[in-house]
Amino acid sequence: MLKLALANLTHRKIRSALSVLAVAIAITLLLVLVGLSRGTLNEVSNRMQSVQAEIIVRDKHFDLGSMSGGKLWEKEIADIVRIQIDDTPAVEHVMAVFLDRMKLAGLSQNVFGVHPEDFAFFAGSRRLIKGEIFSDVDSPSAALALAEAKSNRKIILDSASTTSEPLNYLPLIIDQRLAAASQLAVGDPVSYGDSPAKIVAVVETGVAGRVFAPINMLRGANGVAAQTAHMFFVKANPSLNTDQLQKLCEQIHSNIRRDATLVANYGQVIAENFRNLTIFMNLVSVIALVICFLFILVTIYTIVLERGKEIAILQSLGASRLRVLGQTVQESLIICSTGTVLGIILTFVVRYLIETLQPLMTIEVRISWILIAVLVGIGGGILSALYPGYIALSHDPVEALSFE
Amino acid sequence: MSDLLIKTEKLCKTFHHDGIKTPVLFDVDMQVRQGEFVAVMGPSGCGKSTLMHILGLMLSPSGGDIIIDGCSAADLNEAGRAKLRREKIGFVFQRFNLLPTVSGYDNIAVAERIRGNTVDGQVDNALAAVDMTEKARFKPGRLSIGQQQRIAIARAIVHRPRIVMADEPTGNLDSTNAETILELFRQIHREQGITIFLITHSLTAAQYADRIIYMADGRIQDIG
Ligand SMILES: Nc1ncnc2c1ncn2[C@@H]1O[C@H](COP(=O)(O)OP(=O)(O)O)[C@@H](O)[C@H]1O
Ligand SMILES: [Mg+2]
Repeated sequence: MLKLALANLTHRKIRSALSVLAVAIAITLLLVLVGLSRGTLNEVSNRMQSVQAEIIVRDKHFDLGSMSGGKLWEKEIADIVRIQIDDTPAVEHVMAVFLDRMKLAGLSQNVFGVHPEDFAFFAGSRRLIKGEIFSDVDSPSAALALAEAKSNRKIILDSASTTSEPLNYLPLIIDQRLAAASQLAVGDPVSYGDSPAKIVAVVETGVAGRVFAPINMLRGANGVAAQTAHMFFVKANPSLNTDQLQKLCEQIHSNIRRDATLVANYGQVIAENFRNLTIFMNLVSVIALVICFLFILVTIYTIVLERGKEIAILQSLGASRLRVLGQTVQESLIICSTGTVLGIILTFVVRYLIETLQPLMTIEVRISWILIAVLVGIGGGILSALYPGYIALSHDPVEALSFE
Repeated sequence: MSDLLIKTEKLCKTFHHDGIKTPVLFDVDMQVRQGEFVAVMGPSGCGKSTLMHILGLMLSPSGGDIIIDGCSAADLNEAGRAKLRREKIGFVFQRFNLLPTVSGYDNIAVAERIRGNTVDGQVDNALAAVDMTEKARFKPGRLSIGQQQRIAIARAIVHRPRIVMADEPTGNLDSTNAETILELFRQIHREQGITIFLITHSLTAAQYADRIIYMADGRIQDIG
């Protein structure tokens, strides 16, 4: 009797369409809220894992949330490079990162200050779509001197450049997503605090930072004369196995008294750092789930309650209770499954919109949550039809038949 | 085998609502024979509809029993009553009670599917019997009330029930339409041998019956 269910739904097209939409919105709400609360942190962790390195070193006071706090000294790199595990040199390369924040097109972004020659490790397989890698001055003090010179309206020399071209701005590489969202292209001038900066290249999305700058110039721009850094990325000898990598972490910790974490565990570290946030996210997920469920319940409840007369007619024709319930469930399932599918599609649309308009945000749509959404949609559809169906059945069919 | 189709034994019905008791039927003893055309007459509120709903197993009596085609209703559970209803009884109501969202044809087809029957020539035959073949694809809303009642009759006879129970089927119709409908009942009764139990307060309608049962204040008055 699918035909009857479909006929009932097409009989009141707008009403049915609105019900489908209501379910779809509930499902979208669920997936977007959950995806948003989980996505942004996971995306950061994924980007960290894109770096061609196995270990992240940071000071224990460094705060992952604000990306600030305790600092490292670049000279500590020598102590790390020296480490041997099982009599073989364990470290291939160490990259220093100086972090800062800046506003680009109204969006607050972390800026990764890196040595130009390290950029390839950050980019990995990702290409520069446009522009070229920046160069840097030799030291932060040189950068400071240049900044001073600039404020005296003298020309800043890009001392690393062979052509000695004047460079009176901070060169930035941004990722594609930020470029798209902020509508910035190579050559566009931007400002870094009060100083001028310029986009010199756009890199494919997925790199650790959305914004890269030459480390010494970034230090200089921050008034830092010393060779400090916030993070080291350690590229280990490729022959090391997981146990040896773990050993390397311990060794780094005992040698220089810094926290060393496997990049692979970074997600976990973030989660621990944001314990309250994680609890909040789980709470949001549960609330979204409940709201979604209630939404479906109310939508279907009102539809089925309206079916009192139809239910009575079916009973007068000799339909068993089970059959009548099956009929209401069928109708509800058509609405809920259509709504669920629409909701999932809508989620991807919303994700596209949010990530385009707000590149800092990431909505992670996981298969597991899609499955949960489908279960909520279908389960909500069945339960919310059963209850009012049962109520309608417990009413006197004779009464329903006598009403107009 | 007895030719009794329905027999009631001291049938009583009292409605209970919010502690208020409304006694409606008192010790109703009546019989309907196989193949009879019976009309039930009586003033409004005397319990005719209630009696029909109990006979049709849509409503449980407060006391007494009904024996339909040899089965005691008291021995049946809800599923058993539903089965008896869908196999042996067809209802026609004053207000038609068609499903508004499907065509006349599908209203009858739904009834057949509930019985687990395949939808085939039976539906067409039923439609032909009420002369509604042409208009069967329209939804009830696009049919005149007379046509709606004809679809409802087709629905009630499609499975060749033992008995058709009609509760004031002409109560909402003008005299011309009423006459058509009553002629239909006569035709069904004569040609298909289906027992008719017709509730009416119109003497004209009652005259189509072989026998008239008079009711007043929840009791059978006189069996004519
Ligand atoms: N569900 C009900 N609850 C309470 N009283 C009812 C119910 N159905 C009918 N009655 C009462 O029972 C009496 C008989 O009703 P009914 O069988 O419909 O009479 P008739 O069909 O002869 O007009 C009326 O007084 C009516 O108000
Ligand atoms: Mg009545």
